[in-house]
Amino acid sequence: MRTKINVLFAVLLVFALVLTGCSSSSSTNEESGKVVLKFLHKWPQPEYAPYFEEVVKAFEKENPDIKIKMEAIADEPIKDKLRVILGGKEVPDIMFSWSGEFARKFVRANAALDLTPYLNEDTAWKNSFIPASLQPFTSNDKNYGIPLRFNGKFFVYNKKIFDKYQLQAPTTWDEFLQVLETLKKGGETPIILGNQSPWAAIHYLTGLNQKLVAQDVRMKDYNPKTGEFTDPGYVTAMHMLADLNKKGYFMKNVNSSSHDMGQQLFAAGKGAIFYVELEEFQTIENNMKGNWGFFPMPSIEDGKGSQSFITGAPDGFIVSSKTKHPKEAIKFLKFLTSQDNALKLVKQIGWPSPIDGATNPDTALKEVAEGVDYMKKAEGMAEWLDTDVHAKVADVYLSNIQLLLDGSKSPEEIIKEVQDVAKQVQSEVE
Amino acid sequence: MTKTFRSSRTAILFIMPALLFIMFFVFLPIVLNLYNSLFRWNSFEAGRVFVGLEYYGRLFKDPIFFTALKNNSLYAVISLVFQVGLGLIIAAVLEDKLIRRFQPFFRTVFFIPSVISIAVVGLLWQLLYNPEVGLVNGVLKAIGQSEWALSWLGDSKTAIYAVVAVSQWQYTGYMTMLFLLAMQKIPFEYYEASMIDGASKIKTFIYITLPQMKEMILVGTVITVIGAFKVFDEVYVMTNGGPGHSTEVLGTMLYRAAFRNDEMGYASTIGTIIFVITLTLSLIQLKIGKSGQEA
Repeated sequence: MRTKINVLFAVLLVFALVLTGCSSSSSTNEESGKVVLKFLHKWPQPEYAPYFEEVVKAFEKENPDIKIKMEAIADEPIKDKLRVILGGKEVPDIMFSWSGEFARKFVRANAALDLTPYLNEDTAWKNSFIPASLQPFTSNDKNYGIPLRFNGKFFVYNKKIFDKYQLQAPTTWDEFLQVLETLKKGGETPIILGNQSPWAAIHYLTGLNQKLVAQDVRMKDYNPKTGEFTDPGYVTAMHMLADLNKKGYFMKNVNSSSHDMGQQLFAAGKGAIFYVELEEFQTIENNMKGNWGFFPMPSIEDGKGSQSFITGAPDGFIVSSKTKHPKEAIKFLKFLTSQDNALKLVKQIGWPSPIDGATNPDTALKEVAEGVDYMKKAEGMAEWLDTDVHAKVADVYLSNIQLLLDGSKSPEEIIKEVQDVAKQVQSEVE
Repeated sequence: MTKTFRSSRTAILFIMPALLFIMFFVFLPIVLNLYNSLFRWNSFEAGRVFVGLEYYGRLFKDPIFFTALKNNSLYAVISLVFQVGLGLIIAAVLEDKLIRRFQPFFRTVFFIPSVISIAVVGLLWQLLYNPEVGLVNGVLKAIGQSEWALSWLGDSKTAIYAVVAVSQWQYTGYMTMLFLLAMQKIPFEYYEASMIDGASKIKTFIYITLPQMKEMILVGTVITVIGAFKVFDEVYVMTNGGPGHSTEVLGTMLYRAAFRNDEMGYASTIGTIIFVITLTLSLIQLKIGKSGQEA
């Protein structure tokens, strides 16, 4: 009898050991005296990944005592993964983040390291950035992120189609509507929009909100602690977007076409205008071979916001507050944003760099350099609506924008929902 | 006395590892989930705020919850009709003497969709449903029904049906397979007897095949209905709940709350509700079937 109980105990013990074995943390951090930095970015695509591999290799060669463990998770999944990873034990030392509220929620949770002292320590490094690219990564006047790209949103147009109807790039919203009307009458598809992932239409709203609502009001509303969204400008912005659709200026089936498909349609000349990010300019040039031009979102005459803002934002990296090697992490970020590597970024993958002077007509596509110039001259940036407001408010915007376009919800109904959620968020964020 | 005592000891010993596993990996998480639903918390912030049953109150006022519930029910009803109903009929047809020699071929053809990974199926159908280049609208236009060529996944009225249809395409063959196995276990003598009595094929199906397969049909029903309330991946890959919330199911709603809106407490609440629903449904079904012997 007794032996049986002993056996029972033995089984339990083994089982307990197995279970605890699962939970004990592994100590892979120091591999033969080397400092290991974990680096997480969001570009696993074959056209972008080599850039990061090469930069990491060069850094490791220069710093033999540091090893970089790199991982890449694509754009959509990283939004979820970051949240989960940050809650775990093995947090990457350096990780990708969008600027604005997306980064600020990690700051509020004390998950991001304050980088201000490191930037102030090395003013040459700090001053190498275009100031507008550092600002969106700040919270309470402290820097929490280092930008890698400086992205703006512009309308690109098919030159052949524009010439056919003798059209000019519009500068005001009324001109814009006239251009669209002419195109529609001529039997063209005026605007290509792939809104299967609803951020595409949200980017329109990003600019419209900014141009229609006074800056201080909008900033107050985008802050989770004080957001109300009662300004009539928000409703007007939605009406203007819905009107583009109602008047038949957008292509058909916007909600079931993807942005990638839109890019192909634009390349095939099946539409006149397409709203894209600066980072896509290179692809468009590859497809269109000079047969295209671009213009920023036209100004709106009676809009209360500044009309010389550009829609766009930097994205880049934050450093985990749990990192054991902040100095090494900063060293790597400095390397990544050095003049040489910024030039390499611009030349190799055609992305606009936030390093002043790196994106110029010699290194980059002429249009990319012009785009960056627009952003440098702009009074400010309208950051992506879906990353600049609290996640719950963004979710209401994102999920309703498709319904606005298929006509099943009105702007007033949607803004009412936004207001309700904003109120809820206010009570939850201390 | 001692003998039975001894053997039950041994039995407990043998059950122990499995029992502990289930305790740790099934029951404990259920209890923890219930506990987690009482707090406002997210995955990356350290603190938690106790909110009691606030999330349950909010859930029953949330219109998205009712959309999700409606969609899950739609999923369950349509799946029952196609996977269990149609699956049963296909199985019976395949078991018919005339077709039986082609059975392996049809069985394989019908079964193939269920071995393809959901992610692949989702992307495949997204392309098939594409209003411009997709096969579905291409066929509809080719047979002169261009007014039926809709923007399937992009329209909030048709999207949920389009998504449900994919599940039917994928799993009807799987159910057919299960039913075929059960049918082949029915003793042939019954059919001989009914043949001698002059029963028609339909009568034979109703009076011999169906009652003999009762257990398997019950299992099939339970799997289908519970599956319909747990569905997540098809919807996530194809529409992610959109357009708007028109294809939202409980699974995608939970995911959205947890990983997009940073409301783990609300997600736990939804998880608890899914558990309650599936548990109730399976209890009811087992009760109706009066047993779960082959389950």
